[in-house]
Amino acid sequence: MSVKIEASEGGMDHNVMLGIGLVGALVCIYLVWLNTLMSTEVFAFFGGLAAIIALWWGTDSIKSLCSYGIGTGVPSAGMIALGSGVVAMLFATKLAGISPLLVPVGCVVVAAILGAILGFISDKVLNMNIPVMTRMIAELTVVGSLTMLGFTAMVAGTFSFGDLITGATTVFGVEIASYAASVIGGCVLATIFMLGAIAIQHPFNACLGPNESWDRTQMCAIECGALSMITVAIMSIAFLSIPAVVISFVISIVIWGWSYSELIALSKRDAYDWLDAQPIREVGGEQ
Amino acid sequence: MSALGGGSAGGEGINPAASVIALVIVLASVGVAYVLYPAALIPLIGIIVGGVLISFGVHFVPVGGAPAAMGQAPGIATGVAMLAAGGGLAGLFGGAWAAELGIWVALGAGAVGGGLLMAITCLMVNVIYVYAMGIPAASGKVDKDPITGDTYDGYRSQGTEGHGLPFISYVGGVLGGLFGGMGGTLIYLELLSVYEEALPSFLGMTPEGMQTLAVSLAGIFAVGMFLVAAVLTAYNITGTIEGPHDPKFKRWPRAVIGSSAASAVCGLVAILLVVI
Amino acid sequence: MEEILFGIGISALAGALATVAGAAEDTESDIGSQGDPNSQVQLAPQMGYIHRIYNKAVSGEPPAYGLWVALAAGIAWALMAIQYNAVLALIIGSAVAVFVQGVYATTAYLGRTASLAKFEQPVYIDILKSVTSVTMAHAFVAIFTTVTMCFLIIEALGHPFPLPLMGIVWGIALGAAGSATGNPFYGKERQYQKYDFGAGLPISASGDIVRYAEAGQRSSLDNGWFTSKGAGPASGICFGLIVFFELWRTILFEPFAAGWGAVIAGLVIIMIFMVIDRYVETWARKTYGPYTEETAEEEATA
Repeated sequence: MSVKIEASEGGMDHNVMLGIGLVGALVCIYLVWLNTLMSTEVFAFFGGLAAIIALWWGTDSIKSLCSYGIGTGVPSAGMIALGSGVVAMLFATKLAGISPLLVPVGCVVVAAILGAILGFISDKVLNMNIPVMTRMIAELTVVGSLTMLGFTAMVAGTFSFGDLITGATTVFGVEIASYAASVIGGCVLATIFMLGAIAIQHPFNACLGPNESWDRTQMCAIECGALSMITVAIMSIAFLSIPAVVISFVISIVIWGWSYSELIALSKRDAYDWLDAQPIREVGGEQ
Repeated sequence: MSALGGGSAGGEGINPAASVIALVIVLASVGVAYVLYPAALIPLIGIIVGGVLISFGVHFVPVGGAPAAMGQAPGIATGVAMLAAGGGLAGLFGGAWAAELGIWVALGAGAVGGGLLMAITCLMVNVIYVYAMGIPAASGKVDKDPITGDTYDGYRSQGTEGHGLPFISYVGGVLGGLFGGMGGTLIYLELLSVYEEALPSFLGMTPEGMQTLAVSLAGIFAVGMFLVAAVLTAYNITGTIEGPHDPKFKRWPRAVIGSSAASAVCGLVAILLVVI
Repeated sequence: MEEILFGIGISALAGALATVAGAAEDTESDIGSQGDPNSQVQLAPQMGYIHRIYNKAVSGEPPAYGLWVALAAGIAWALMAIQYNAVLALIIGSAVAVFVQGVYATTAYLGRTASLAKFEQPVYIDILKSVTSVTMAHAFVAIFTTVTMCFLIIEALGHPFPLPLMGIVWGIALGAAGSATGNPFYGKERQYQKYDFGAGLPISASGDIVRYAEAGQRSSLDNGWFTSKGAGPASGICFGLIVFFELWRTILFEPFAAGWGAVIAGLVIIMIFMVIDRYVETWARKTYGPYTEETAEEEATA
């Protein structure tokens, strides 16, 4: 993830970002599989890392899409990304019945097909005639589904449907199995859905303006992803053992602290002036 | 949700070739569902109808965007997709609560939930404009209200395109809430029926928590699909619309076609979840 | 009978919580300047008006509040799943959600203002330090009351949705209601206070927001006082009425006509509100009169 810091104002080529984002996120999600291989829960945090990488890529996709002036603003793009992403992701977790290793790749494939159809509808049926729309909406759907898959894997330590619907509650000190206490049954997905929806559109929406710079926007993406990772780590307390939760939490806080201070430094670099308790500067002599 | 500086790229009119492809997508989805899981045929058609209702309903909602927040344009000063989502989800809340009373009661409850949110919100918008800002309602697109006959020519402030919520916009808002709530509830109910039937047999067990599982799955899918349909419609409207009397309202056919295809594909994936 | 009484009592409590939530939500979004009126705060430097207003560009209010409330609900759910006390879980959930909200607010201000360097708008660090904690405080009130309301609806009234899903539903509805009611009041009355009362803003005046206050330079903190005089309570009433009527008509009328009673009650309530709105509209037309065609006045005096 140190690659993007060296990049200059112009930033990295979008196709390179697509490659890094896709491969990086998939590798991290597959690393969560180590949990099942080694019968432990401590590798769950890789899911959060996958989500951060996916968000880092997705920020550039939203930037490309919205720079064409779609008229509705940036947040809607985040909503459609997650709305279609959640459909693809839940379908993909069910693929674990065939083979658990099929889930991440299956997620990407289903999301790409779904996103391409939605992009085609937006561009051609709704007559918006934006050249990159089909491709970008497909990318956003993949990003949305990867974000959801990553955070779900982080909160539960696994990404197969069968494990996601098993949970346990204690009644009078006795543990009994209950669907209502599981990730899908308790609908923690709803929180992850909104986390992703806001995190995917915030970096571009917040850094919007004539002096928007690539590295600052991407650093904001990492910061948003890490912030969401902190909250997912807290939520995983209901599903994972305490050591796994502590590891996830500490890693999230470290990444967030680093990216937040970097973001402040980059904003200081880009801002016109960095004033503390100073009066309004009049440029045109207006009152 | 402020609109960006760039103008919108949307074009007018229907693209016939793309619309035909969209209808082919709908038919293909229905066909695949029929082949792989025949019991889900009616639910999938229900989901498509739900998406159509949402998309059609969102066109009624009067949204003015950033200019409305300054009294420069009529409508509600929020984004289209999210205001419609607010109404539709409130309707979903009511419809889900009435789900065990039967599909028609639940649809009615969902519609009324959405309509009630829009009715109260639109009323308070007018109350703020009239009593707190001293501005009467006036439309920018028509000079005479189609329902009440009020004339708006002298009631627009100088330099603006109207403000507040004229009665036709109010009625449009309520209708939008009714359709949106009904559509969202329909998607939820159809998915719920599929999951309630399929999950016990596919998973083999039937403890009580199964109900919560079906509700949660159907709920999150309904929320996701509602947002997809609303955002697609927002793209169609390109930002702001005054209500059913606005010329932009005539664009509704292409949004309905697009939304039916989107709901068909998303619904198919949601239903196939129980097949694989 | 007792069940219905209990249900109505809970509806009233939920309605009260919702009223507080709506008022706090609108006050928070005006102190931080979020949503559609924020486009003017963004536009002002481009027209040459440097300002010291907090530019919190975190999407619009519905998705933002959807996230804060869903986040609080999710964390509260997770804590309750490991047998934490429900009230403690709700408070901790709201606290974490408020922390996230504060961080998003700061990154939005820094991001947007740094990107306006071309128009010579400086970043004022003291605004970050003074206003952020105030928005977080108001947001806590809004989030906590909404999550508690969701919790009550599920536990006491038996709604089938789990807590996080309920959080999304009511969070987005809260944002939509508060945003719709409060945005024009902040956008026109507060930001363009120097223009004539009782008329919309001419398009030529866009960007010329008020930057100097009663004494000294305007800070976003003062918007809290202003909002709580008008749009804040109005948004509270709006959301409170929505929640209360939604619950009340279901609990009281659902037993009649196999469920159709609640639907018919709802339609009657919608009709009543439509009549009230028509009355408000005609009152305005009659009392204020048109802007042109007639001599003198613009409107009734404030």
